[in-house]
Amino acid sequence: MLRFLARRFLWFVITISTVMTVSFFLMHSVKGGPFDGERKLDPVIEANIKARYHLDWPLWRQYLQYVGPFNLDDQRALAAFDEEGGFSLWRSEDAAGEPTRAFGGVLTGDFGPSFRYKDFTVNDILEESLPISALLGVLSMMFAIALGVSAGIASALRPGSGLDLTLRIAATGGIALPNFVIASFLVILFVFLIPLLPVAGWGTIQHMLLPGFCLGLVFAAYIARLTRTGMLETLSADYIRTAHAKGLAPRTVVMRHALKGGLLPVVSYLGPATAGILTGSLVIEKIFFIPGTGSHFINAATNRDYTLAMGVTILFTVLVYTLNTVVDMAYTLLDPRITLEDE
Amino acid sequence: MSDAPQDSRWSIDEAELARLTKEARQFKGESLWSDAWRRLRRNRAAFLALLFLAAFAGISLLAPFLPLPSPKAISLRDEPGTPEWVWSVPAAPTKAPDRGAATTRATRNLWNDGWRHRSTIILGAQDEAAAEAARARVQEVSSRGAVVEVYPAAEGEGLQAYASVPMTEGDAPQVDYGPTGIAGTASCWEVLTPGDPEPTGAVHSLRLTGADGAAFDVGQVAGWSVEARGASIRLFLSRAEPLPGLGDWVVAYRLSTELDALPTAVLLNGSLLPGSAAVSWGGEPSGAQTVDAELLEGVEAMDLGRRVAASLAASPIDGVTYMETRHEDGYWEFKGLVGAMDRALRRARIATFGLWQTGNWMGTDGQGRDLLARIVWGSRTSIIVGIIASLCSLLIGVLYGAFSGYMGGRIDNLMMRIVDVLYSIPFIFVVIFLITVVNEYRTELEDQFGIDREKIFFLVIGAIYWLTMARVVRGQVLSLKNTEFIEAARVIGASTTRILLSHVVPNVLSIVIVYLTLTIPAVMLFEAFLSFLGLGIEPPKVSWGLLAVDGTQAINPIKIYWWLVVFPAGAMGSTLLALNILGDGLRDALDPKLRGKN
Repeated sequence: MLRFLARRFLWFVITISTVMTVSFFLMHSVKGGPFDGERKLDPVIEANIKARYHLDWPLWRQYLQYVGPFNLDDQRALAAFDEEGGFSLWRSEDAAGEPTRAFGGVLTGDFGPSFRYKDFTVNDILEESLPISALLGVLSMMFAIALGVSAGIASALRPGSGLDLTLRIAATGGIALPNFVIASFLVILFVFLIPLLPVAGWGTIQHMLLPGFCLGLVFAAYIARLTRTGMLETLSADYIRTAHAKGLAPRTVVMRHALKGGLLPVVSYLGPATAGILTGSLVIEKIFFIPGTGSHFINAATNRDYTLAMGVTILFTVLVYTLNTVVDMAYTLLDPRITLEDE
Repeated sequence: MSDAPQDSRWSIDEAELARLTKEARQFKGESLWSDAWRRLRRNRAAFLALLFLAAFAGISLLAPFLPLPSPKAISLRDEPGTPEWVWSVPAAPTKAPDRGAATTRATRNLWNDGWRHRSTIILGAQDEAAAEAARARVQEVSSRGAVVEVYPAAEGEGLQAYASVPMTEGDAPQVDYGPTGIAGTASCWEVLTPGDPEPTGAVHSLRLTGADGAAFDVGQVAGWSVEARGASIRLFLSRAEPLPGLGDWVVAYRLSTELDALPTAVLLNGSLLPGSAAVSWGGEPSGAQTVDAELLEGVEAMDLGRRVAASLAASPIDGVTYMETRHEDGYWEFKGLVGAMDRALRRARIATFGLWQTGNWMGTDGQGRDLLARIVWGSRTSIIVGIIASLCSLLIGVLYGAFSGYMGGRIDNLMMRIVDVLYSIPFIFVVIFLITVVNEYRTELEDQFGIDREKIFFLVIGAIYWLTMARVVRGQVLSLKNTEFIEAARVIGASTTRILLSHVVPNVLSIVIVYLTLTIPAVMLFEAFLSFLGLGIEPPKVSWGLLAVDGTQAINPIKIYWWLVVFPAGAMGSTLLALNILGDGLRDALDPKLRGKN
């Protein structure tokens, strides 16, 4: 287990540093910079802005400042020069009397200031929006699992029946249609034709139902498929026949014995599903005007707010990687036939 | 004596041998493909999906032939039109628009949603008879069926006749720029005034001499205009004495460093051209540079308007005067082979249907564009994106997977671990980030490498969808390498090429085709996703993703334009569904062992 985690961590470091380095240098190679507008700025103002975001530094120094872990700017605590050129290894306040910091950058969890939202750091924005996206994601995941697993079991219990066929067609349709199309159908249905739910916004449970459902639907369809095949395979196994033979109630056999084996493929799908829900939230948050991380990311990408876009990309990469590792570990706990060392 | 039974057991007489040989010749092994085809045909859902997709591909391929309204011509309606199940549009407008009611002379003809992609020749006519004579002349000159609409003239007496014919290539004025043998240099610099960071303008000084060494005569030039695109400059010089059939001169050159200011003054062989700002020599020049320049001459093609005008000049009709020609381009021109095919199809359409076309069977969108036509033309974009991006992913995936599987051992391990790592990155975020960054370089990429946004799009999608393909191909190659039939082929003495071509490739190909069919819908979904976020295909082009976006934007509590949601979603959903079903069916057909597994 430890060896597995160590290897995963090594690859994680390689992945993250590649993503970070490539996106950093891409972002800084863009001519024109994020502050170029229709109107040219006064050179003094431009210089001030550049100094604030350290854009006047050489690229390697900006990169080191961004990645961290050491703080390199004027407020640094370590190895600083004061005005007279004197060198001090450590200082607790800078020349202006402001407190100094020794560490900073992505490695310490600091994504720097946002380029577009003045007076906001990327961390502020993420702190505000991530709980919203997380709530939406968890809700839609619950939707997906509840709907998918029950539909999968229902169709696996009577393969070939009308119910099975209907559910399978619905699942294929759910996979084939993009979620924003499904969302617009549902909005027409439940907001305008049958006015039950509010059209957009965030705050109450009514606001969450429609987005959560639309976001979870695709994954519910996949989970239903996986559950169906998993259950079909398990239900024909010998130990299920034994359980039936010793006189257990059909409900017990399905829920206690078959489900455990039948859900294994679903567990392995949870990793990709998380990544998918993060992706899908981009669209759903845009349709329903939810102030989550996804809509911030899209705004950042179209407004050239590179630090915010990079922050979200890095954060989500870390999130998905960690969740994938957790899912893999959970898989070995559920299925003793699989060991982590096999990989 | 003791050998005889043995001999008789192993010996075969001539007739028997001949019979056996004949039988062996007649025995035909069933190939992988015919077997798979048989199995696919038995799978009713997959076969129906295949037929549906073939029909759809046919419609999309034949789009220019179908008598559909134009997918891009905007009309002046301010609200989406409801679907109308009419089979023909009235040949003549039932009601002329009121003069001054939000129409101008240039847009008045657009109110009629009936015809698009036509050339309209506007003629002054004395009376209805003269208009009819003009129509006949236009029909004769263009050798296409023409119709005429008559309106009262904007000012004065008489009528205005709008004679329309279906537009073909060569109707619109076209200018080809050819060499003149006159070349030289262009020196350019910006003029800075002290205290102002912005340059006040730029001076472009041209020195042009003919092949015979004589300087270009400045008196021939009446004025200039400029078209700058990054560092590429095209300076148009209009002729002082217009020559029939010859357009402007153009001087094309490429600056070595881009200038911020557009030219405000142009000097030709030392003298200032008319229309230039007075050059104040007091300013400070900056960014001075001298590059090679060449003078090109525009040769104008004989377009339809000129032909009609020439015909009227040669044999005038009483009371008919030529005024102008307008062209309503209704389609997107494709380049290369597809473009040639489209032109042929459009000629076939004109020959078959003339100006007849369908009504708005699926309604129109907010700008009055026919939805059915947009779905059909959008299917072209979506299908092209789906196929090219999938082929892109196929190429990368197959090469990567085959190499990895073929090498085996440590290299294989490393390569597959890289794929595992890439799998765990939420790629869409990286891709969106990449697309926004690449968008900053669009003009450069387009100018220097001819790479437009769609090509970037194909590459990016191909670059992320190859992972599954690589895994699958690698697994297949790895398992094939050690199978008995490959071993048997090797024992028989088949060459490596033969083993590869007749045993490895077909077996890998089957699974590749299956995953290709499953990648195409995924890519089309991704295109819709990116278009929805405003990062994919851009208007005025159309794709199913964009249509779906239009649909979601048309939802509002006041009025529900259901057709804008239902029809694009239906087209997209049914195609993706069919592709998914076909993919599953192909997998079952080509690899029966996998049946029922996801």
